[in-house]
Amino acid sequence: MQWWTLFQKELIENVRNVKWIWVPLIMILIAIMDPLTNYYLPQIIEAVGGMPEGAEVQLPEYQPDDVVMMSLGQFSTIGVLTIALISMGTIAGERNSGVSELILVKPVSYMNYITAKWASLALLVLTAFALGMAASWYYINILYGDLSFGALLQVLFFYGLWLTLVISLSIFYNTLFKTPGIVAFLTLATIILMGLITTIFSHVLEWSPNYMSDYIQQMLITGSVPGELIGTAGVTIILVILLVFGSASIFKNKELAG
Amino acid sequence: MMEEVNLFNDINWAVIAPILVIQGILIIVAIIDLIRIDKTNGPKWMWGLIVILINIIGPIIYFIFGRRND
Repeated sequence: MQWWTLFQKELIENVRNVKWIWVPLIMILIAIMDPLTNYYLPQIIEAVGGMPEGAEVQLPEYQPDDVVMMSLGQFSTIGVLTIALISMGTIAGERNSGVSELILVKPVSYMNYITAKWASLALLVLTAFALGMAASWYYINILYGDLSFGALLQVLFFYGLWLTLVISLSIFYNTLFKTPGIVAFLTLATIILMGLITTIFSHVLEWSPNYMSDYIQQMLITGSVPGELIGTAGVTIILVILLVFGSASIFKNKELAG
Repeated sequence: MMEEVNLFNDINWAVIAPILVIQGILIIVAIIDLIRIDKTNGPKWMWGLIVILINIIGPIIYFIFGRRND
């Protein structure tokens, strides 16, 4: 099948350029950095000279769900930045170097080309994210307290949707612009802008994808999936589908025009 | 001095070891890749220094900005 061939080409390419090694490693580091530094904070303060005489700081006692949110917080900043940087050249770069012309001179459907790119990127990022959260989960259970495996799976699913949206945005801008830097910048700018709009119109945009981590926290505290989370997940899935189809049709028109 | 000794005992090395291992793998993979790759953006020796000298971030900067795709 054509799609499968394209998908395999993408996978092999990501193995050759060692993304399959370093992206999971960096995601693991991102996920465990905060839980570990917070756990060892007393020792770290001690090591850098300690508190002044008489000063006393009550360090908060973190619950397992607070620590999950720490890891997610890192993913929503450094993680999203990493995703934007690794995906910025996936189509834009190929169009610059002429690889995409080599592929598209054959009767390859644009939809297959785009979705194969999208799927291989999503597989890489989501696998890396899952490994990172698994590492974080491991440390949470050792250092902070129990967090059920079911809760971990729920976090993986819902936050994975948000990361998929980031990937789809990047693929979308990849079809619009040929310069990787612009693609990365617009991806990040869009996410920041979405955050701003969500904050300003918070009363109408209850299901904005930017609320994903807030609702995940609520889910971890109450132990049940809030209705807003389902709505947000639905909106996110619809946005992802729109972006992927939009990318395919833009790409088709651009290539035919060019 | 006493405090430092205590500090080292306080830290559970089984907990910290994975970070050191990940850091090591990143550096080794980056170096091997740097040796095998034909061309980088900028001189190779510069990337070698960046990978070895800058903790954790060095290999990642190399993977993102140093590699040339074709």
